[in-house]
Amino acid sequence: MNLIKLEFLKLKNKTRTWLGPILVFWLIMIAYPLTVEFLKDKLEIGFYSVLWIAILISMMLATEDIFLEDFNDGALEQIMLQTSSYSLLVSLKVFTYWIFIGFPVSVLSFLMSFGTSENLTASLMVFPLSIISSYIFLNLFVMGNALSLNKGSVLGAIVSMPLALPVLIVLGKSMTAIQLGINYPGFIFLLLGCLSIIIVTVPIVVSFIVKAHLE
Amino acid sequence: MIKKFIHQFASPKTYLFQVNKFYNYIFYTSLLIYVFSIIWGLLFTPEDFVQGNSFRIIYLHVPASFISQSLYAAMAICSFVYIVWRVKLSAYMIISIAPIGAMTTFIALVSGSIWGIPTWGTWWQWDARITSTLILFIMYLGLISFHNSFSNLEKADKLLSWLVIVGAVNIPIIKKSVDWWSTLHQSASITLTNEPSIDASMLYPLIGSILGFFGLIICLVLLSSKNQIFFREKTKSWIKDYV
Amino acid sequence: MNTDPSVIAKKISYKINDNKLFHDLSFCLNKGKALHICGDNGSGKSTLIRIILGITKQTKGELEISSTKGISYLGHKNAIKNYLSVEDNILLMQLHNHKDLNRYIEILNLKKYLDVLVANLSFGQQKKLALLRIFLNNSDIIILDEPFVGLDNETQKTLSNFLNEQLENNKILIFTSHISCEINSEALNIS
Repeated sequence: MNLIKLEFLKLKNKTRTWLGPILVFWLIMIAYPLTVEFLKDKLEIGFYSVLWIAILISMMLATEDIFLEDFNDGALEQIMLQTSSYSLLVSLKVFTYWIFIGFPVSVLSFLMSFGTSENLTASLMVFPLSIISSYIFLNLFVMGNALSLNKGSVLGAIVSMPLALPVLIVLGKSMTAIQLGINYPGFIFLLLGCLSIIIVTVPIVVSFIVKAHLE
Repeated sequence: MIKKFIHQFASPKTYLFQVNKFYNYIFYTSLLIYVFSIIWGLLFTPEDFVQGNSFRIIYLHVPASFISQSLYAAMAICSFVYIVWRVKLSAYMIISIAPIGAMTTFIALVSGSIWGIPTWGTWWQWDARITSTLILFIMYLGLISFHNSFSNLEKADKLLSWLVIVGAVNIPIIKKSVDWWSTLHQSASITLTNEPSIDASMLYPLIGSILGFFGLIICLVLLSSKNQIFFREKTKSWIKDYV
Repeated sequence: MNTDPSVIAKKISYKINDNKLFHDLSFCLNKGKALHICGDNGSGKSTLIRIILGITKQTKGELEISSTKGISYLGHKNAIKNYLSVEDNILLMQLHNHKDLNRYIEILNLKKYLDVLVANLSFGQQKKLALLRIFLNNSDIIILDEPFVGLDNETQKTLSNFLNEQLENNKILIFTSHISCEINSEALNIS
């Protein structure tokens, strides 16, 4: 509990780190309608594809320097001397980032979806999808950025983007499911299943990776 | 026990001498097999009923796409060995396989595109297997650029093997999910469990070409790993004696 | 059970990309002993310290460390967050409830900076803040990499007095320093 409070304290004071990705998400979602001719039905065709990709991109930006600062100022070494469970720390860190970035982005995507489609039920169904997918993306990019810790975030994005593709496919399929009104819970459970695997394995793998970087 | 065994037989020095001993045999046998099956396939196999002569590119396309995935599996095994037993040789193998894997994947993509024009009427489709092969290609390139970004090579090896293992878990998932997403590609003609859905006159040269191509690629891997050993062990005294 | 701390190194070697950094180092430290690691720039002093900390793995050799109260360490990187205030940094180090905190804040002259962002402090003041970790964590092994760099004379004296006091209390000290100091220590030359 103490650890998570400290992570909150750190992230709260780094406004650029958490506000930046949210604003980028917002800007993408504003930019999208401007590129489409002003007809509502045309807007809806690609809306959700852009939404998922905007979530993906904002999560990518969110994790950009998740370990870099702690690596550069030596905090990772101090943590290594104090705590035995590095992976717990990683998962708390990811959770903090999700609360600050992933959750607001999910709320925004609910609002955007409602504003565009004017369909409350569908938008309410989109909300859990964006909550789960933002958490999954966050975890995946954390792993990519841990791998390329001090080598720039582009490399991290390159190595972790393929991992996110299956999730994007599932998201696309579940939008069809929502539109046709079939098997929506199945997709939610599928994503939750992915999340539960990722939430356990990513922190473990990341802790090994970060330790290897410190060597 | 296992550790001791691996360390004894996987020292770069022993490996290098074994490679030198067997290299010529592997190279000439597989060259012979490949040339033989290509000649058989190109000149003596009848035309395909639907596709005409254009199907003959399978003698390049199928081996290349088959091997591009096998090489990734080989890298994954090497990574596992490196992480668990810290065998230096397997780390050298990972990074010497990666460029060759990228090359075969590229061959598979290009030959597939060329084949696609007469059969599907387009050189590119966002079809499941093409997409996952493209992703595989990007992953290979990512691995190479990742390894090159480090100055401390041992650290690079360790992190690369983690990355390869993560990718190895993910490749089947990508493949399945892309399959689920859309598919146009014919399903695999040769599997271990089912009767082959391809005529025998095409099948035998195809198997021959896969084997031959496989052998040639192994030779390339051997050469590239030799190169890697020379590069990484250049300060060792046995290398100086060897050269 | 033996509660005295000890650090024993047997023939430690370290190589990076096949370049030998140091070779076959051995030393043995018991309670109340200090080790001064000397060497030229780039001879591997910091690497040796990282090996003792267990962050880097030695290429060869064995290292045995027994300690009941842990290790405190201060290196070139001081793990201070410059976008937080001094007070928040103390919170982050989890020293805010320590009974001696106020005394050391007085000694180190940090009292009036508690609300100031660390980014606005000088290098020496930041280092003082980081030293709180050493002063307040009651570990039985203390490892310092160039602790005296950037400190004023008074703080240097405070630090060496503190370290001598700790040595009398049966702790172990391992440090590197280019600045001469009055600490009774063995020297280990690695270059």
